[in-house]
Formats: sequence, C-alpha cells, structure tokens
Amino acid sequence: MKKLLALAAALLFSAGLAQVKLDYWLWDANQQPAYEQCAAVFSEQNPNIKINITQQGWGDYWTGITTGFVSGTAPDVFTNHLAKYPEFAANGQLVDIQPLIERDGVATDIYIGELATLWTRDNARYGLPKDWDTIAIFYNKEMLDTAGVSVEELNNLTWNPQDGGTFEEVVAKLTLDANGNNGLSPDFDKDNVVQFGYLTVDGADAYGQTQWSHFAVSNGWQFNDGLYAEEYYYDDPKFVETIDWYAGLIDKGYTPKFSDVNGLGDNSLFAAGQGALTTDGSWMIGWYLDNSPFEVGFARLAAGPEGRKSMFNGLADSIWVGSKNQEEAWEWVKFLASAECQNIVGSYGVVFPAIQSGVDAALAAYAERGADVSAFTEQALEPGGTFLFPIADFASEVSDIMTSAMESILLRESDTAETLAKANEEVNALFR
Amino acid sequence: MALASKQSQVIKKSFSWGYAVTWLLLAILIIITILPFWIALKTALSTPSSLFVNPGSLLPTDATLFNFRRALGLISLEESVAAGGSGQSINFLLFLRTTLIFTALIVIAQTFFSAMAAYAFARMKFVGRELIFFFYLSALMIPNIVLFIPNFILIKNLGWLNTMQGMVAPFFLMTPFAVFFLRQFFLGIPKSLEEAAKLDGASPFGTFWRIVLPISRTPLITLAILTSINAWNEFFWPFLVGKDEEVRVLTVALQIFRTQTPQGAPDWTGLMAATFLAIIPIFILMVVLGRQVINSLQFSGMK
Amino acid sequence: MGVKSYTRPKLEQSAWRRNLKLVFNQESLTAWLFILPSLIGFVIFFAVPAVRAFMISFTEWNLLRAPKNVGLDNYRELMTDPQFWNALKVTGLYVIYNIPLQTVIGLFMAVVMDRVTKSILVRGLLVLPYLISNVVVALIFLWMLDPLLGYVNAFLGLFGIDRQPFFGSVSQALPTIAGVNIWRHMGFTALLFYAGLQSIPKSLYEAATIDGANEWRMFRHITLPLLRPVTVFVLVTSIIGSFQIFDTVAVTTQGGPVNATRVIVWYIYENAFLFFKMGYATAMSVVLFLILIVVTLLQMRILRADSSDLE
Repeated sequence: MKKLLALAAALLFSAGLAQVKLDYWLWDANQQPAYEQCAAVFSEQNPNIKINITQQGWGDYWTGITTGFVSGTAPDVFTNHLAKYPEFAANGQLVDIQPLIERDGVATDIYIGELATLWTRDNARYGLPKDWDTIAIFYNKEMLDTAGVSVEELNNLTWNPQDGGTFEEVVAKLTLDANGNNGLSPDFDKDNVVQFGYLTVDGADAYGQTQWSHFAVSNGWQFNDGLYAEEYYYDDPKFVETIDWYAGLIDKGYTPKFSDVNGLGDNSLFAAGQGALTTDGSWMIGWYLDNSPFEVGFARLAAGPEGRKSMFNGLADSIWVGSKNQEEAWEWVKFLASAECQNIVGSYGVVFPAIQSGVDAALAAYAERGADVSAFTEQALEPGGTFLFPIADFASEVSDIMTSAMESILLRESDTAETLAKANEEVNALFR
Repeated sequence: MALASKQSQVIKKSFSWGYAVTWLLLAILIIITILPFWIALKTALSTPSSLFVNPGSLLPTDATLFNFRRALGLISLEESVAAGGSGQSINFLLFLRTTLIFTALIVIAQTFFSAMAAYAFARMKFVGRELIFFFYLSALMIPNIVLFIPNFILIKNLGWLNTMQGMVAPFFLMTPFAVFFLRQFFLGIPKSLEEAAKLDGASPFGTFWRIVLPISRTPLITLAILTSINAWNEFFWPFLVGKDEEVRVLTVALQIFRTQTPQGAPDWTGLMAATFLAIIPIFILMVVLGRQVINSLQFSGMK
Repeated sequence: MGVKSYTRPKLEQSAWRRNLKLVFNQESLTAWLFILPSLIGFVIFFAVPAVRAFMISFTEWNLLRAPKNVGLDNYRELMTDPQFWNALKVTGLYVIYNIPLQTVIGLFMAVVMDRVTKSILVRGLLVLPYLISNVVVALIFLWMLDPLLGYVNAFLGLFGIDRQPFFGSVSQALPTIAGVNIWRHMGFTALLFYAGLQSIPKSLYEAATIDGANEWRMFRHITLPLLRPVTVFVLVTSIIGSFQIFDTVAVTTQGGPVNATRVIVWYIYENAFLFFKMGYATAMSVVLFLILIVVTLLQMRILRADSSDLE
C-alpha cells in the first residue's frame, strides 16, 4: 500500500513537473530544419524535455555565447568550433563529458577518423562530434569541356611547388585572355584575362583551409607541433616555397589579383562564370549547386610530393557548465551524436555527419540532386588523406597576425620568406 | 503681387546659372542615392542561380517574387532550403507588430523625457547645469562595446530578459543625442514667448507643454523620425535581450539571411528581399511624419 | 583656496548661503524635476556601467574568470602597442575623409530642400539611405564595388577607366568605407540641418531679397550664422560618431588589408571578444573617451556652442 502510494505520488509529481526546456544554439541556418527534426524525434522519446533551437549568424553567434557565459544566460547546449573551444575549456566553461561517457558506456569509436579525438584535452572531453568537412576541387563543367580537359584528368593531377605540376598546366590551359589565347600560349596576355583557370586567393588567414593548406601539407609541411601546439612553423622553407608558388599564380595571371577577390569572394566569382576551378569545403556544396547557373562538379585534390592532403575539420556539441539541466543536456548531446539523429541530418544533404551511416544518407541526398560528392568522402576515408585543423591556444591572435602577413604577401607588397619569418616569430611569442 | 513678381525677376536674372548647377548637383546626388537601392531590388527579385548571370546588367534575369514570399515566411522550410534559401520560418506579422511596439515606446518616451531635460538645460538656471550637461554629452563618447555587458547583466538581474521592458529600458528615458539635439533648438527659441506666458501666470510645465513643445514641432518631429529609424534598425541589444519569439523584432528575425558560416556567403537574394520588406513600414512612417513637418511649417509660416 | 576661506570666513559663508539658495530656489527645483527622468536613465545605463568599465581597465579580465588587478599595466602596454597607435592613426584619417564631405553635402541638401525645391519626393529620396541599417548598407556596397562583379567597375569600364579594387587595396579601403558612410549619413545630416533652417525666420530672407541680396550672400550672412547651434550639434555628434566607426569595417574589411582599416573600435572589439582581453579593451576605450572629450571641448570652444545669434 505504502509502495503504491509512493508510486502514485511519484507519478503525480512527475506529471505536475514543468517540462525541462533546453536551449540549443547553432549558426548555420541551412542545418536548422534537420536539427528541428532531430529535436522532434528526441522530444517524442523524452516527453519531459523540450528543445528550443536558436540560430544566429557566425559573428553574432560567438559574441552572444561569450556574453552568455559572462551573464549566465548561455545556452545549455551549443554547436562548438575547434578554433573556439580550447579557450572556453581552459576557462572552465564547458562540461567535461568524459565521466558521463564512462558512466553511460557511450561508444566514441563510431566516428569517422580522429574526429572524436579533436575534442579531448588532458583526458577531458568537451564535445561529441556531429559532422566533418574536407576540401576538394570544384569545377565548371562547360569550361572543362570547351578546353578539352576530362574529369578523369582532373581527378589525377599532380602538384609540386617548383613548376606546379600537371595542376598548373591544367589551370593554365583553362585560363583565357580576351583574344581567346589560353595560359599556355606564348601570346597569352596576362593583363587581360576573361576566364581564370583557378579562383582562390582570398586565403589571407592563418589556416588557408580551402586555399593553400592542402598544397602546403602535401609538400610535407605541418602547421605546428601537434594538438595543443606551442610552436608554429610558418617560417619553414616548405611552407615558404608553397606560398611563393601560390602567390605566383597571381603574377602569371592564372588567378585574379588579391585586391580583386577581396569583396564577394572566390565562390561568387565562380558562380558568375569568371573561372573554371576553385577549391572549397564540403559545407559549400549546396551553395555552389544552388547559385551556379551551369553544371558544377567535384574532383579530388591534386597530389603533392607527399600525396593528397585535405584539412579535416569537425564540429561538435558542447554543454555549458552553467546549464541548470545538465543531465537533460547530456541526454540531448548523446542523441545529437547518435546514429539516429545523424541519419536524419544526413538525409537533408547539407553536411556530412560524423557517423558513416549518416554519411551514406548524405551521399544519397546529394545524389538525388544529381551531385557526385565522393571526392570529399574518398578524401576523408583515404589513409593519411587528411590532417587536422590546427588546434592551439591564442587562435584569434594567431589568425590576426597571419592575416596581415598573408595579405601583404598576396597583394605582392612584401617578400614571402621575410614576412613569414617575422610573422612566425610574433606568433610563437604568444606562447612564451 | 508686385513684390512676388519682382522677386521672381531677381531670381531669373542673377541665378539662372547658379540654379542650373544646383539642379545638376541635386540630380547627381539623387542618382547616387537611388542606384544602390535599385541594385538591392534587382537582387531581391533574382533567383539565387540567376544572380550571377550578367552581374553588370541593371535588370533582373528571371524576375521572381519568391524571395519576398520567403522573407514573409510564406514558404515551407523544405521548399526554401531546396531553393537555396536558409531554413527558418519567419512569423513576419508577429515580428512586425513587436517591432512597431518597440519603436513606438522608445520614440514617445525618449522624445518626451529628453525634451524635458533639454528644456531645463537650455532655459533654466541651476547649480551644476553645465556639469551635468557635460556628463550627458560625454556619454556619447563611450564606445557601446563596454556598456552592453554591464547593461545586459543588469537587465538579467532584474528578470527582464525576453520582456519588452528589458528591450526598451536603455533607450526609454534618454539618449545623450536626443537631449543635446533638442537643447540646441530650444536655445534658438525667442525668450519673449515664454516670458509672456510667465506673466500670464503659467507654470513652468505649462509653459513647456503649451508654448515650447508646439513651436518646436519641426525639431521634435525630426528627432522622432531619427529615433524611430534608429529603434527600427536596432539589432544587437534586442538580439541579446529578446531572443524569444514573442519579443523578437524584425532585425533579429531577418538576420538569418546574413553570413551563416565563417567562410560562407550571405543569402543575398533573401537578405535584400528582407531588407526591402523591413524598410517599407518605416518609410511609410517617415512620409507621414514628414507631412507633419510640412504642415507645421505652413503653420509657422502663417504667423 | 583653504587659506582664503580662513581669512575671509564671512564672505565664504554668504557665498555658501547664496549657493544654497540657488540649489533650493524654485527654478532650480523645477529644473531638477525636468531632468530627473533622463538623469535616472543616464545614471543607470551610462554612468554606472562607464565607471565599472573604468575600473575594469585596471584589471586583467578575460570575461570568463574573475578579474585580476594589474594596476596601470594595460595603459603601459597601450603605449608600446604599435597596433594601437596604428588604430588611432587610421581612425583619425577616417574622420578626415568622412566629416568634411558629409557635412558639406548634408548642408547643401538641406538648403536645396529649404530654398530650391519643396518636393516631398526629393526629400524622401535623399533621406532613404538612412533607413537601411549600417550592416545591410555595407553588404550592398560590397556587391556594387566588387572589382570583378560590381556595377561601379563595369560603369567605369565604359569610360575606359581601369578596374578599381576599392575595399581590396591598402590605399583605397579606408576612403571607400568613408564614402559608404557618407552615402548613408548625408541625408541624415541634411535632415538635422533642415530642421535648423526652419527656425530661421523667413522674413529675414524676404527683407534681404528686397535689398537685392543674391542667394549666396543670403546663405553667407543669414543662413550660416543663424544655423550655428545646429551646426555645432551636427559637427560634435558626427565627429564623435565617426571616431566610433565599426559596423562597416566589421562587414567589409575586418581591419584589412594589411591593417589599413583597423580602426580603434574594431581593435577594441577584437580585444574584447576575440582575444578575450577585456581589461585591455576597456583601457583603450578610456583613452578613446579622453580623446573625444578633448576634441569636443575644443569644438565647443571654437564654435561658441552655447549661444545663438538669433536674439
């Protein structure tokens, strides 16, 4: 009898309890419908938890998160970025979920590659992976056909920092001046280009994620001395020669001047039919498909002296320490990181989820739109085909220093080796 | 009558060149003013995939109202995403109403309270007048960045997050700009009017209410126009304080069309359509208030 | 001062009484009642946070942990930070590009609205740019001024003028940003001047016309002098606003290329929210505040802000 009473009381109590409302933030509006769907399924399984999704554009998102930390109004769970989380973790703003993982026996080996490792530091873990991205070549099919370059040829390019390899040859072939001469012709007028072979140079920052990092790393360079690095290698000769070659494309007229692409960016130029090739990340696939009034295709990166290398970056969901409903927040994070939610996200075809079955769903969704995006997935799955986004402290400061340095190099205003040596010194001084 | 014709003769004789140049300059200014709007409108009427076709052309390729329907929230998420838009529904009418309330509260209260203070600074003698006025003025010089965190924490501690009072609080009682603006105008009002009222036994507030405010219609309405435009466009504070749908203003709702990823491009077509929709109400308001200015001029011209 | 008050206690006392009378006489009390609501708003939302920010400038605070007292370290660091000095230089340059042209165009538009055409359409058009927020204005110009895709370069090309990089080059980026803001604010400035012009009695112009004065002379001898209180207001507020330029930079150049547009408030923002150096950011804000105080006081002194020529 007593037991029954207690049970009834418990039932009453739980029924009378207000729903727990969790705040969840993300910055990509294109992914919101997918996560709304996840939240609907989650709330069905956990009727006592309601997910309130807020989306804010990139810049405001982080100011809002920081203000939220200070004032105690940050969301319970939020999409986190590798360039931001070390600072938050070091300041004790993120819940270490490692004990929860061990308690609940959550598998962390279901994620592709080293995605899960990216979010650990000193045996603590600050997020479970939700998606990933790699880099590939985006091409304008019509321009390829006109120049007689086959997709197969494009998928098997080689590159080196001395003469640019077959990559530079194809780029030259795809560059046209006003008189119809291509970049290989002796009559080529580099000051009067109407179609660029390669659109790229808005890559003036510390990472060159979609612009130069794949060249530099395939040349045997590395950003720094590993996870939580305290030393960067921007003065390494291998990096210097890569950037020298890369900036040299401007001088040859194969790619627009830096000052000319600083406005809308290379993706807009590509969509406007100003160039034949560009390199970009998998999160931009949808944008290119939607905005290009011509057929767009995706090809593998050129193979450098050390093979094909793409930066491998991933997002994760983190729990804020100030959340008043940490247990519920953890349930939500677990669900976001589960195959169930990631299959849903994949089926929307906006991003590659961190679990293989989700990736398959995404591939199917892209195929439905007539796009073969295997260049990105093959790159991700190829042994040694990826390198990680350089995670270290002072990310914003490093970025600040390198942006100025790269800008002055790409504007062709300063000597590459000298500028990089000086910038590298400034960067490494941050860690001392 | 004779005077009027003489006046027009004078203008004809000596200013024809001057007027020609003036009109030419005016025409150039108008073109410079309108062109960006035209281009924004063209963008709003384009589909994403036709946006970059003939970017130099002044007419949209495949004109469509799709983006306007999208910004009004008339299109399902899936359809919107499929067409290259961002995937968030917008309850346009609700946000419009919130924005109207937000703007009206700020404009009415701020103009009134600032006018009171400005009148005291312009006309009354009291100890500390110059000092306090200087303090007010100096508040213009503090970068907002250092103010909004403490203010936000205050609003949070008051329990005013996601409430209308929290959203309007910092703008409600004054802005240094408004006080300074009106003070400068009140300085120019002939003192004789107020002195006459005083002799008739009017209280200071009565003088302020019945004499000063009516003859200052032009600056007051001008200030109201400027304040309403600013309130209408206010983004970061409402973004911090009013995230809930019930208190969300248009600027916060429509920012989903801006950059979504660190290296991504904005949703140009949606952004421009949203911009146009958002300025229509404030433009109407401006025209209505602008007519008030004209009417008040006719009134003062009569006397 | 102290010595004086001992030698002449009597006078001091009467002065005190006079002051007391001043404080408590009816006019003073009325005045205080008039400013009370605004004073409450001022103290809560401006004064208190400003004082707090001032205190933060003596600490090292990354927003996420408790602030640590460091005395004058932030100010010392400022003195030797080349980026800070560069930011001051860039900001000063921006004000010079921005203010004179914006003020002259605004005044011209106001006079035209007042004396040349009464068309509501023209008025409405000229003020239109101010209706769009800074951020969207910046995005529209990013479009228009794009070197390869923008209209402006396509237009210049018709006249055989070379492609201009605008936001993309070190030498053009800052003037371009100034131009964008002139575009947005010229109608705003005109509206302020226009309101000022309305307070000038029309009879003065009529009398001058009868005396045979031309339009330019009337502008010089009637409009300009009588417009002074408004001119002071326009200059003081627009210069203060110009020193705090931020939105356009944040959207278009983010301080680049090669620091050419790294204005002071952008640098403050970077320090506060990207580098998490709130103490350093507030120290810079304090310095900016002091600079603006000096600039404003100078202007008020030169322009004799408190008086009107209309009496």
